[in-house]
Amino acid sequence: MKTRKMTKTMLTGIALAGALAATAMTASAADLKIGVLVADVSGEEAQGFRSYYENYIAENYDVEFVYTDALEDAAGEKAAIEKFASQGCQAIISLSSSDRATQIDTCDEYGVYYAIASGVLDDELFETYKGYEYFAGQVGPGNATEFEAGKAMGEYFKAQGVTSVAMYGAFIPNPMHVFRAAGVIAGLGDTYGGTNDMYEMIGQIFADQKIDPAKVEGDVALTAYLQGYGDTTTDEINAAIQKEPEAFLSVGMATTFFTQMLNEAGIPFADIDSFTQANGTAIKEGQLVYLAGKYSSSIGPVFALIKNAVDGNPIRDEEGNAPSFSQGYLVATDGESFDEYYVADNGDAPIYDKETLDSIIGADVTYEDFKALVESK
Amino acid sequence: METGTLKKKSGGTAGRHLVDLLPFLALAVLFALFCAIVKGKGYRLDIYLKTIFNQGVVLAVVATGAIFIYTLGSFDISLGASTLFAATMGVLTYNATESLPLMLLAIFGTAIACSLFSSALASAFHIPAFVTTVAMLSVLSAVSAQIITTRGGSLGGIGIPKPVVKPLDNPPFKIALLAAFFLLCFFVFQLTKAGRRQKFIGGNLVCARLTGISYNKYAILAFTMAGIGVGLGAFLTLVYTPSVTATTASGIGMSIFVAIVFGGMPISGGARSRIHAALVGGFSYILLNNILELVLEGGSAYGLTQIVSAVFFLAVVYVTSMNYRTALLPR
Repeated sequence: MKTRKMTKTMLTGIALAGALAATAMTASAADLKIGVLVADVSGEEAQGFRSYYENYIAENYDVEFVYTDALEDAAGEKAAIEKFASQGCQAIISLSSSDRATQIDTCDEYGVYYAIASGVLDDELFETYKGYEYFAGQVGPGNATEFEAGKAMGEYFKAQGVTSVAMYGAFIPNPMHVFRAAGVIAGLGDTYGGTNDMYEMIGQIFADQKIDPAKVEGDVALTAYLQGYGDTTTDEINAAIQKEPEAFLSVGMATTFFTQMLNEAGIPFADIDSFTQANGTAIKEGQLVYLAGKYSSSIGPVFALIKNAVDGNPIRDEEGNAPSFSQGYLVATDGESFDEYYVADNGDAPIYDKETLDSIIGADVTYEDFKALVESK
Repeated sequence: METGTLKKKSGGTAGRHLVDLLPFLALAVLFALFCAIVKGKGYRLDIYLKTIFNQGVVLAVVATGAIFIYTLGSFDISLGASTLFAATMGVLTYNATESLPLMLLAIFGTAIACSLFSSALASAFHIPAFVTTVAMLSVLSAVSAQIITTRGGSLGGIGIPKPVVKPLDNPPFKIALLAAFFLLCFFVFQLTKAGRRQKFIGGNLVCARLTGISYNKYAILAFTMAGIGVGLGAFLTLVYTPSVTATTASGIGMSIFVAIVFGGMPISGGARSRIHAALVGGFSYILLNNILELVLEGGSAYGLTQIVSAVFFLAVVYVTSMNYRTALLPR
């Protein structure tokens, strides 16, 4: 009886698996298939990017995008690239940065084009890989741009006359967040460990693995600091709020984690994130007063780089190397300026719409055409 | 009456044999299903199989070593962190000495030392070994992250030059390593007194103690074997991707648990422990995840694969536990 029951359970499982398999037997019909490596699948920025590719680019070009689930490490990234290669993807767009060197090497091994859409390579790594045949290039804020974005935020609040701030370091020692945090301190007119030089500051922050408030000196006091997100975060943000800072400055994700608490506490806050609906609500109805953000279609040029490469016209700079285009952040300080970018970038007419992208897709497009367009946005 | 009892016994034996065979059948079915789906979609099976193997081999070696701990009725949640820490030490050693043998020595030395340290702590403070492994998980993760992020700087990770391990990144080498380690474990587990005594301890610790078997002695053996598995896993991780980030091997701890269950071994350890459980279950688990990825591709919902995988896990536990849901000790 027991054996029969076990056999029945097993056969049911196999039948179910077979049925699932039958539903999976559909092959792609698009001319271009691109695999997208994703580390953060739930963030608003990631969802905005995905929506742009799937709902706008895929509608206007003969392309199919396939996505990974949340990638955790270098092995996951490499395995994902191998699977994409097996699935016939001609190119990979990377939004995941555990091990970019291995990503490029793996793409090169399988003859798949590769481009970076978020968190660009540092100078040393870029020098190493810029000559690789299948490295199509990178578009996004470089480390210096991240520093400048933080600095602009700090300068804004300094100009507002604030004398005390709390700070959220997001996921330091993530390099992007380290550069932004160093920028914020410099922008406030403060020093970290006695210096306001970018490289000296980030060197110390990497060594400290955090911002040490005791090392921040200057006119604007850092009353509280927290980073990461875990069991103690709620206590830490409450403690920060109780210090009654005049502003709460975040280098990322604050609008995801802390909007409600900061709104309730009535503390003006700033973040570096993206132009999303939730952030729009926070800036119009809440205490968000400064947002440096990317917009969803900012990853349009990366698609253009890939499309050109697959079509046989890889964009190369004057020296024949893969291009690296820097993209800055757009800044909103109220609902009106937010809408200027958010509304403009949504629906059927994103900032990088088909007409704009078509100007940098084609056999005659050059590095200069690309550079001129990307730097103009 | 006697005939009825015999029939009942015979039916029970048949059921047990079927349960013993289930993990192999499941692996075969999953493999066939996987190949059918990949072929049906027109994908390249050769690349996919290589990837599956690379994913499975690390899990299989670490989990095979962990079988010794699970057999004792304990578990080690820090195996993923130990793998990360051993790989980190290996990278640091190579970068300091440029010597592959010294790197291997550092990897295996670190892995075995970490494992034994958990065991020694448990023994010294008379607390269950899994409690010390929880503490080790936090400590090793934090120390590794500190080293990696400090030394990796803006790269976010540390690594060794790819050419050092590239020649080893091929299936024959990895199969040979896996086979050698499995045979070693099989020998210790199945053919030595130590293996039998470990099963006895896992089945009934009180009885084992009353017959003069020292728990600590066999715990040390179990953690040593697990340490060798971790070392091998760390080395194979570096062979596949010669870099280490703070999240390397982060998912291994829970995957081992699932793999062992998928392999048909009771999570309580004891006499029904099977040394092949990790190997069979590890590859079954990887195959299942990949099948779900393929079936649900296009990202109908993030996390759906994990939900389906969890349901499958519960179903496997239900089916495999049918045959030992009894008040009697296994016989």
